[in-house]
Amino acid sequence: MTGLTSFYREKEAYLLGIGFIVFLLALWQCVPLLITLPRGYALFFTTPSRIAATFYRLLVEGQIQEHFYVSVAAFLSGLGIAIAVGLPFGIVMGRSRTLDALSDPYVTALNATPRLVWLPLFILWFGIGIWSKVMIVFVGAVFPLLINTYAGVKNVDRVLVNVVRSFGANEWQVMKVVVLPNSLPYIIVGLRLAIGRAILGVVVGEFFGSSKGLGFMIASAASNYKVDVVFAGVAIFMGLSLILTLSVKKLENSLARWRPEAAKNF
Amino acid sequence: MGLKEKYHEYHRPILGMASVIGLILLWELTLTYLIPVDPFFFTKPSLIGTAFREQLFGERLWRDLAISSRAFIWGFSLSVIVGIPLGAVMGWRRRVEYTLDPLLTALYASPLVALAPLLIIFFGVGLLGKAVLVFLLAVFPFIFNTSAGVKSADPLLINVVRSFGGKELDLYLKVILPGTFPYIVAGTRLAIGRGLVGIIVGEFYAASEGIGFAIQNYGDTYRLPDMFVGIIVLSAIAVALTELLRKAELMVAPWRAGEEIR
Repeated sequence: MTGLTSFYREKEAYLLGIGFIVFLLALWQCVPLLITLPRGYALFFTTPSRIAATFYRLLVEGQIQEHFYVSVAAFLSGLGIAIAVGLPFGIVMGRSRTLDALSDPYVTALNATPRLVWLPLFILWFGIGIWSKVMIVFVGAVFPLLINTYAGVKNVDRVLVNVVRSFGANEWQVMKVVVLPNSLPYIIVGLRLAIGRAILGVVVGEFFGSSKGLGFMIASAASNYKVDVVFAGVAIFMGLSLILTLSVKKLENSLARWRPEAAKNF
Repeated sequence: MGLKEKYHEYHRPILGMASVIGLILLWELTLTYLIPVDPFFFTKPSLIGTAFREQLFGERLWRDLAISSRAFIWGFSLSVIVGIPLGAVMGWRRRVEYTLDPLLTALYASPLVALAPLLIIFFGVGLLGKAVLVFLLAVFPFIFNTSAGVKSADPLLINVVRSFGGKELDLYLKVILPGTFPYIVAGTRLAIGRGLVGIIVGEFYAASEGIGFAIQNYGDTYRLPDMFVGIIVLSAIAVALTELLRKAELMVAPWRAGEEIR
């Protein structure tokens, strides 16, 4: 008995956390057994077991894979462009005060506004297809990367820069030896936020500007009242963002062990 | 030399304004003289200006804004009412945190917007559907920031209050709440951004009025100047709210200035 108690004490956090999720899922599963739903609501209701069965069926039929690849393609290309644009711009803005002042109004305004407002314009310009999605993923993901890179570069210790300069380093060497290593933890934080925004962009972009992809699958299933397909799609997005964000978070923690943990911020 | 010093003092806003004015001029001139504009695909500042004046004196813009803000305020208030107490309990009671944290973290990290079609179908295209979506997105920053704030309460201060015979209520009012306040203000800023996403997606998806609907509707009907007016108005509101909260953050917690990550 003591073994069990000490086991519980040790793993209390995990047991309670996972136990609560399992409990909620079980409760959800039992709702139809406990109460009879009115006919109108039964249409919108599904249970975890039915969602799992639907998920498996869609997987076997290959529907999920088909939509999945489309979504991943938009996600990766949008995020890739965002990294390719956001990092250099962030570094330049951090190193040059004039460029910083010139671009500040745009960065502030675009960052404060949800970038999804541009979606109708992108659909109008690029049509329904991958490019409007890539663009909406790009504008969503680029600002966290740019702003965090900028913050990292700005935060560089002036003394270190001066030391390296005194020893005759040029701007490129200052960058390589001092600025980039110092900014890396910030860039990783930016990457984590950017992944969240990019997934948001894929979801919403596919709701409206698409005829394929997981977001499209969710939207079209919802309008046909196939609630379990909706939840299967939502589950994939949840799993994807959890895996990606948590692995970047791990990287972040190992890179910046000395920094105190702030409030969670996705 | 007075002028030069003035320039140095204000060089950031001066350069910023110059770059905005420069871009607008460049945009206008390029599309007027170099590349004639196809009004179906692009527009220029003078046309946006005309549309802006028309909408400002019209009725529709104001009605759309009123409708969107009503849904926003309902959802947002609900997330404050639910998020702050829940966060406080999570920060104060270890077992409650253990129980709720994995679930809430998973929900916070995942794109809950994916549920939008279902919520809209279930709760309707009107006020309720949008308010629920806003609540669902905006509640998490309140929960996690309040919890972080409560956890940051100094144990020494807590002991002092207890030693002087303070009651549980004194503890909350004198130590925990003041320490939590800066965190809540920071959370509010995050929540506003997420709440705006909720409104926009809700109105893009299915609505017959509201600012998000207006933007999409103008886009569908190729009325680009009007669409840009909607985007500009929305940006102005978002910037005003965010900057206001940033100022509030600096006021309630000047020592945290500059350390946060946007």
